[in-house]
Amino acid sequence: MNIPNSSSAPAPGEYAGDEVSAIVLDPGWSTTRAGFAGEDVPKSVIPSFYGQIDSDSGSQYLFGENAIHNPLGNLQVKNPWGDDGIVEDWETATKLWEYAITSKLTGTKAGHPSKNGLNDGNDTNGDAMDVDMDTVENQEKPLEDSPLLVTEPGWNSAKAREKTIEIAMEEWGTPAFYLQKTGVLAAFASGKASGIIIDVGASHTSVTPVLDGMVLRKGVQKSTLAGNFVSNQIRLIFKQSQPEIPLTPHYLVKAKTPVDAGAPAQAIYKTFNIPPHDSFRRLEEERVLTEFKESVVEIWPGPGRLSNGTNEEIAKSMPGRPFEMPDGWNQVFGLDRFRPAEALFDAKAAVQDADNPRPKDEHTIPRLVQAAVQHVDADQRPLLLQNIVVTGGSTLLYKFNDRLNYEINSIYPSTRNKLIAPGPVVERKYAAWIGGSILASLGSFHQLWISKKEYEEHGANIVEKRCR
Amino acid sequence: MASGRDVRDMLGLPICTDAQKSAVQKRAKPAAPARRIHGVAREVAALYGERPPPVAVYEEKKTYRAKRQSTGPVKKWVQQPFTNQARSDGLVLKHWRRKPTTAPPVQDGEDLAMEDGENTEPYIENSAEFVKYNISVDLPTFTDEEYDAHLRSEDWSREETDYLFEVVKDYSYRWAVIWDRYDYQPANKSHLTQETVDRNESSQALAALPFAPAKTRTVEDLKARFYDISAKLMKLRIPEMQMDADQYSLYETLSKFDPNLERNRKNLAAALMNRNMDEVKEEEFLLAELQRINMAANRLDAEREELRARLDAPISNQQVQAGLASFTSSQALQALFSQLFQQDRSKKRASGGGSGPARLSLNASDLIQTPSSSTHPHLSASARRQSTATQPAAQTPIRTLPPQQEYRYNVSTHDRLTSGVTFGSDKLLKMRQAKSNVQTQKIATALAELGIAEVIQIPTSKVGEQFEGLINKVSKLIDMRKVREKEEGEIRVLEAMKERRMSEVKQDPSSNSAADGKTKQEIPDSQEMPSMDGEGEDEDADGDADADGEPDADADGDADIDAEGEEDEDAEGEEESRQPSEMASSRAQSQSAAGHKRSASVFSQTSNKSTKRARK
Repeated sequence: MNIPNSSSAPAPGEYAGDEVSAIVLDPGWSTTRAGFAGEDVPKSVIPSFYGQIDSDSGSQYLFGENAIHNPLGNLQVKNPWGDDGIVEDWETATKLWEYAITSKLTGTKAGHPSKNGLNDGNDTNGDAMDVDMDTVENQEKPLEDSPLLVTEPGWNSAKAREKTIEIAMEEWGTPAFYLQKTGVLAAFASGKASGIIIDVGASHTSVTPVLDGMVLRKGVQKSTLAGNFVSNQIRLIFKQSQPEIPLTPHYLVKAKTPVDAGAPAQAIYKTFNIPPHDSFRRLEEERVLTEFKESVVEIWPGPGRLSNGTNEEIAKSMPGRPFEMPDGWNQVFGLDRFRPAEALFDAKAAVQDADNPRPKDEHTIPRLVQAAVQHVDADQRPLLLQNIVVTGGSTLLYKFNDRLNYEINSIYPSTRNKLIAPGPVVERKYAAWIGGSILASLGSFHQLWISKKEYEEHGANIVEKRCR
Repeated sequence: MASGRDVRDMLGLPICTDAQKSAVQKRAKPAAPARRIHGVAREVAALYGERPPPVAVYEEKKTYRAKRQSTGPVKKWVQQPFTNQARSDGLVLKHWRRKPTTAPPVQDGEDLAMEDGENTEPYIENSAEFVKYNISVDLPTFTDEEYDAHLRSEDWSREETDYLFEVVKDYSYRWAVIWDRYDYQPANKSHLTQETVDRNESSQALAALPFAPAKTRTVEDLKARFYDISAKLMKLRIPEMQMDADQYSLYETLSKFDPNLERNRKNLAAALMNRNMDEVKEEEFLLAELQRINMAANRLDAEREELRARLDAPISNQQVQAGLASFTSSQALQALFSQLFQQDRSKKRASGGGSGPARLSLNASDLIQTPSSSTHPHLSASARRQSTATQPAAQTPIRTLPPQQEYRYNVSTHDRLTSGVTFGSDKLLKMRQAKSNVQTQKIATALAELGIAEVIQIPTSKVGEQFEGLINKVSKLIDMRKVREKEEGEIRVLEAMKERRMSEVKQDPSSNSAADGKTKQEIPDSQEMPSMDGEGEDEDADGDADADGEPDADADGDADIDAEGEEDEDAEGEEESRQPSEMASSRAQSQSAAGHKRSASVFSQTSNKSTKRARK
């Protein structure tokens, strides 16, 4: 008998848990998370990029971390997500998500012994054909046993929502389905039913006011000043520095020799007979930039902006951080490491060129928060500002929270503003998934599922009525 | 290893030889220090030195841990299909449950395989565990007739009202969410639910249409409409007078909702929130300043008070007792003056302010010119205190409540309050007691007849009033009865006299005066006889009265008296007509008889019935 203590998991009765082996799918621009509800981290995290090799016999799709980073000839890397933060290419998105679910969670389903093809030697041809058809049907529906909870961004269109339930119900054959906004789930993951959720992801930054587990639609704000934007800024900085900083991904480098800081790289490069597509190179470069963001980029923590007064001087005097490129080129970054992410808070500070115009002021995070709060009933604003949940991979930028805290306190000096940013990286990156995991394992949630029967009765637009 | 001695050494503390000695002595015993504390690092334990640790160290080893009990073979778990009672569509999900040992439908291993088969109906659990979380909100409902009769509004169509109610129900009165999702599209679509479905498309379609889209409504508008309808419906269902306190207060809040007030309040709240850093800092600064000033003022007051106490030995409170003698010091005089001034001023204000120049009145300038005060009089603490003491009493207007509210809040006004606290129950008890014991008893029996309990549970003032009225009537009734019985007694005496006289006249018409004397003697007798009879009958009579008096008891005292009047009209009416002439003589005659009154009072204990019977 275990004596319950603070470190042991609570009994299901205590949190109204009733697990029905539901699957939670949290698709994002950069990664797609999937796992069983009730677990604390998604078991299956795969990149949302997929590889495509076009040949005469048709296209071959490659999914998963291992496949897409392999420099095959003519490999194109694509992403099913559109620029507006909504899935564009539904066909591949379906395949990608299915891969996320089946590769590590459900596996391929074992057919019934009488139908799995092993025992049907004696049967007549006609029967065998029928059985085959059944088998095919069985295999096509990977989710027959598990209800599915899918997350969606706060600005998802009605069309996209209907498409999602269609896929889940018809292609995957899930017995029950639900669609919930990432904002709400991220709040749940932090144990809050109300709050403002600042989600800085890869493609989009969104600010979602949530009240009692419901998104306040008028207040949902989004902008593209997010992780990809920061990467882009780094590219621009590299390009504009004198001399230009070369960006060579790992897969091109065969061997390297150490060089002094700032000196040109001395490396032996790989050559490919049939090189992969440019998009592959871009993906690989993105990986290097991610590493750069993780290890070098820092956000000026305040007070004031980086451009204010002597702040730049102070930043310059801080010790720099070294970074070595895959080809051996290395440098210590001083002031430059503060610049890429500064535009998240101060549009003026954005690095610009002809292709990359200055972002709009109202797209910076503080302005988004302000706009979101503005669209909420005045009585609820203090409550929401007490629960500012920070989530998304890009919030892991060094000193992000300090700066955000400073900015919010300078906008709303008279309220008690509290940032809730979970410490563990996993919780920050997968907050929406974790919230979904909590939600779908609650016994009281089971009455909210849209069952297959209901879907068949009302059609796809039931999702608008039920998931709001 | 660092021991306490090492630490002392490091800190340069003198190593007390005694302590050392004792330590050495202690160390000499091998058993004592050997006891090591578990769960504490050796170095930390060494730092304790000779002293015991500051907190009780709870040794892990000794914690109780329940033994793992083996309860037979391994329990099996099954994926149990279940339906949720809160769902109407009978969705079957599966969760892991202990396999029931007394398996409900089928037994053992084979059924696992069988469960997939179609022929055996698998046991489906009906889970009601979470139904309690399936809560729906209470919403007022109305019929078409009610809507047409009471709830029409120029601003709101019936459809939109219905939509509003639907949204309120969907979002369980979360007004912020309701307002956020409120998106009413007037009648271009027939069905409401469909509107919500493809909102995007319909809003685009609407923008293209020539007519104006629906009004944008603020949350206050929505609330105003909803509360208005709720209040009206509430009034329709329960008339205002029948509402209890809770319902009435709810009704009041609902009917008194003012959207403009609410809007202004929200604007203020938003403005307060949107202040910039400078303003917030300024406010903080001002608040700090205010606090500082207040504190300084308090300190100054205290200092002055102390100074004054030292200067003037007699304290101003004694002035009333001491009379003029107390106004010896300049301070006391000034206090008196300012008090008078305040009273004067408040009087003037009360009378309308227009004081003629001829009127003798005090002036502020007089006060200022009081020679003794070097400080400004308004600043002096005593003046301030005076003003605070006198002003509110004279100037705060008495808040008058409408009578209904007074009734509701049990407000009572008194011309004069008695000092101290009394219990309502005491008051009631007091009312039961009359001057004499007999009277008290009579009241008690009357009350018992009326079925009023000895102890009244909740003696509120209202109950007290009612009770007082009742007691008054009861005592009036008793008085009336007394008078009546007295009169009846007299009638009887007079009739006896008359008879006797008649007989005497028959016997000896000449000896009138002697007969008078005889009657005088006989009066007590003639009275005593019926009274004794009455007493003898008393017990029965009371029993009768209890039974027969019941109908009377229901009516109030006045009715009682009336009824009695009717009953005995034949008897008393005659008597009354005779009264003026005969009464005087009879009273004069009977006064000499001491027993009369007594007998009357005894008589009165018997009830109507008994006297009637006696009369018969």
